Amino acid sequence: MIIKFINTQINKENKTDIIKASILTLIYALFFSTIYIGETSIFYISMFCILSVSLSVLIASNIKSKKEVYFRFSLIKKLIVGFILGWIMWPGFGELVGPIIGFYVSSKKRTDKNNFSFQKYAWNQFKKNKIALFSLYLLVTLILIARFAPLIANNQPLYAVYKGVTMYPAFEDKKTTVEIKDPKTGEIEKLQFDITDWRKLNLESIIYTPIPYSPSFLDKENNDYVSPNGKQEFTNHKGELIDSPTIFRHHLGTDGKGADLLSGLIHGTRIALKVGLISMGIASFIGIILGSFAGFFGDRDLKMRRVKYYMTLMGLFFGFFYGFGQRKYAISDGFSQSTSEGMIEFSISILIILGITYIFRLSSRLITNKWLSTEISVPIDSMVSRGIEILNSIPRLILIITVTAIMDRSLTIIMVIIGITGWTGIARFTRAEFLRIKSLEYVQASKSLGFSSFRTIFKHALPNALAPVFVSIAFGIASAILIESGLSFLGIGVPDDVVTWGALLNLGRGNIEAWWLIIFPGIAIFITITIYNMIAEASRDALDPKLKS
Amino acid sequence: MLKYTLKRLLAFIPMIIVISLIAFIISINAPGDPVESLTKAAGNEGGAEKQSGTAKKDKQKLRKKWGLDLPLFYFSVSDMASCDTLYKVQDRDQRQNLESLIHEFGNWVAVDNYYKSLLNLQKEQQNINIESMCEQDTTLDKNKVNEDLNQIGFNIVGLLEENKKELVDDKFKNLDKLISSDTYFPSLVSLHNNVKFNHKLLFIKETNWKTYIPSINWYGINSQYHWWVFGDFFHWEETERKGIIRGDFGVSYKDSQPIKNKIWNKVGISFTLSLLSILIAYLISIPIGIYSAYKKNSKTDKGISIVLFMLYSLPSFFVGTVLLLFFANPDTLLWFPESGIKDPLNYNPDWSIFNWERIQHQLPYLVLPLITYTYGSFAFLSRIMRVGMIEVVSQDYIRTARAKGLSEKKVILKHALRNSLLPIITVFAAIFPMSVGGSIIIEVIFSIPGMGTEMFNAILNYDYPMITAFFTLIGFLTMIGYLVADLLYAVVDPRISFK
Repeated sequence: MIIKFINTQINKENKTDIIKASILTLIYALFFSTIYIGETSIFYISMFCILSVSLSVLIASNIKSKKEVYFRFSLIKKLIVGFILGWIMWPGFGELVGPIIGFYVSSKKRTDKNNFSFQKYAWNQFKKNKIALFSLYLLVTLILIARFAPLIANNQPLYAVYKGVTMYPAFEDKKTTVEIKDPKTGEIEKLQFDITDWRKLNLESIIYTPIPYSPSFLDKENNDYVSPNGKQEFTNHKGELIDSPTIFRHHLGTDGKGADLLSGLIHGTRIALKVGLISMGIASFIGIILGSFAGFFGDRDLKMRRVKYYMTLMGLFFGFFYGFGQRKYAISDGFSQSTSEGMIEFSISILIILGITYIFRLSSRLITNKWLSTEISVPIDSMVSRGIEILNSIPRLILIITVTAIMDRSLTIIMVIIGITGWTGIARFTRAEFLRIKSLEYVQASKSLGFSSFRTIFKHALPNALAPVFVSIAFGIASAILIESGLSFLGIGVPDDVVTWGALLNLGRGNIEAWWLIIFPGIAIFITITIYNMIAEASRDALDPKLKS
Repeated sequence: MLKYTLKRLLAFIPMIIVISLIAFIISINAPGDPVESLTKAAGNEGGAEKQSGTAKKDKQKLRKKWGLDLPLFYFSVSDMASCDTLYKVQDRDQRQNLESLIHEFGNWVAVDNYYKSLLNLQKEQQNINIESMCEQDTTLDKNKVNEDLNQIGFNIVGLLEENKKELVDDKFKNLDKLISSDTYFPSLVSLHNNVKFNHKLLFIKETNWKTYIPSINWYGINSQYHWWVFGDFFHWEETERKGIIRGDFGVSYKDSQPIKNKIWNKVGISFTLSLLSILIAYLISIPIGIYSAYKKNSKTDKGISIVLFMLYSLPSFFVGTVLLLFFANPDTLLWFPESGIKDPLNYNPDWSIFNWERIQHQLPYLVLPLITYTYGSFAFLSRIMRVGMIEVVSQDYIRTARAKGLSEKKVILKHALRNSLLPIITVFAAIFPMSVGGSIIIEVIFSIPGMGTEMFNAILNYDYPMITAFFTLIGFLTMIGYLVADLLYAVVDPRISFK
């Protein structure tokens, strides 16, 4: 079937392109499947290769023009960039998706350099704002710090030679245990990587990470709020108590248990950025869909036959009954086993709901009663606007705190709650933008050509409505980070063993003498929020020249 | 104007319903059994007492008093297999276990038989008197008998509360071993066989298809939600339960005191602080906004903009802690007291609100919290004021006013100001909830005995009725804030109320 599909996609013009693309993806697929999946079964590898190649063929067949040469530099550059970006965003899976997206981007018809495009104009406007550009670079730095945190701050060294055994502990799993035999006495010493105090071993050769501490590593000599510029002690492998050498100093001090603050800050970056991205991802998913429907259809334009309307409601009722009511135990069992298992059960439920609703909608065609066939309009705009109003009327922080109070303490739950309560702003902006766009010529054209509303919304209108939404998302990320750090500052919601900036600041509140525990995490939160706000503001100015006053 | 006010009031009704629903959903999903928590609060704790008759009766009374033996909502959606009077089962774990059993086998009658036979077994097991048994038969080892009996009890409770296949099999195996091998519990044998028989019947009489047919049960107003909101509506005066519409939020788990008495003065403190800070923010931000709009693009304007932007991005908990670090710290500067809102030694409770001595006494306590409360909304407001003013100044009527030869002062203050106030008033509706929400963090930092601290403590103590009460109250009060904003807006811009 796949070969048949490939055959249909190939024509004379794009033959060479497709062959080149297939070879490239084949090599990549082999590389990926052997290194990452670790599956040596030929069946898996061949399945993976066939899938990748057919995907690449599909994308390559989209290439419209033959005149320009794609498969030289542009493609390889984008593949590499896609790989790196994918690895940074989602290690383990992004490496697979990233190059494909890069491939897709490079397969698009390249626009002429002198062509005017709105994106280009906005980017040029954005670049003029020096502070915002600087913020963007800072954000990239933060993302890199978050990604490379285990290589920047880790108590497991990058490279170590101990009693003739060479190890690379920072690149290995925390719980890895190595048994080392002393060549002279024959004693066997067990080293578990994360517990071992590497500083105190008599190592032949060692390369530490720039900050030789993990946030969970407790320094027993400096465990009573050691100040950054104060006296820090260190016992070397001979057992002598000396002043800490520069490499082992806690540059930003420690907390009451001896955990290094700088290391905590570096690892906290990861959580702060993750919370911002994921919660706003959820929020923008809900907000964009609801907002675009409300704006596009208004109160009058979403018309359906009365019977279809009732059938949809019925379908939703039955869908929820079978999807969530009937499968309640399946879902909770899934979540009690593992999060991924639960998510699978949950998505099955969602599929059931969609399927049942669809079947009910289809079945409405069978009924031809006159009264039931009259068209009525669904007031989707009022529904969404009312929903936004109601959600806005509850103080968001209080709502989140109340909900987290009855839930288990987990970061995922907090991200989901922030996302679910944070979509109103995005929905409002999308709605306003759609109200403007729906009367424009190209939307009218696509309507009169008979395209479905779904296609008109998502293919024609939405790409042009995203600019103000983007601004709202950037502001939303800032406020999501603020809420998360506020919660962990209060010690609500986030588990104790997760090191976040807010939790570090909370330690400082407990002991006000330890000013470094207040100032440095606070500045980290402040900088991150400012960066996002700056980018949001600058892109608002760039995207909407009218607002610039 | 009156019509407009009424219209706005009507628009708030669905919001109030939704807020009460959310609060109710939160309160019924709170972990733990409410009656257990309440009896714990009253001090009737104790493992042995848990099963005893008097404690059970007390619990039943409490359950009745707080309406926990009622169905949850006006109606319920379930499947055909389930039993519509399941809410009458008292124990929460047992109820959940029964639900899952019904879900699995789809035959309520069989499940009921099984459950009742288990209860009979439990009752018989509790009635066994070891003392008399040992007196009759002296060969028995009293400790061993006691231990076996306890083991049987544990297994029965396990069966009552669990429905995992491996666990149930395990428990049955244990019971088999304990009851059949030891001859000294003859009365239990037949009951145990009955339980086993009923458990087997479950599998035989399984009607799982019934769980795929939905059914709706109607309970009417005799439901927990109705009681929670309206209380005993027909006995207005003499009833104990008044419902949240008359300010009755139930009883705190912590000390069994009515929540009503505990929260009103706390709410007062918090809202005074919030409103005071918003007032100050408005008072500062309007002149600043006007000034920077008037001197648009000058160096001062740019400087102010940057500072405001920074202030806007500063998290309030950071500012609060830093203020404490620098101005209420014996190591740096001890200008202000560290926590609280009054000194219990020098405070005179007879002082009236505007007593000068009282103000003098409390002002140092309020300076740092007020700064923390204010700066964020102040930055936000100033930025909006500036943009609004710039937009108004470029309008035609301002040019006309200038062309008329009016002084610049008069143009700005008389013609531009009132029109530029519109956007800043609308954001009152956004700032007010923000300020109330922020109060929980600020009050915790400065240990102000207000609503925020109380809610924080309630969360730490798992005092769920208290949390729900605060949530509902804040929701309602925010709604009032919205109403005020709407009315103010109509006052400043009369066009609104005629629409």
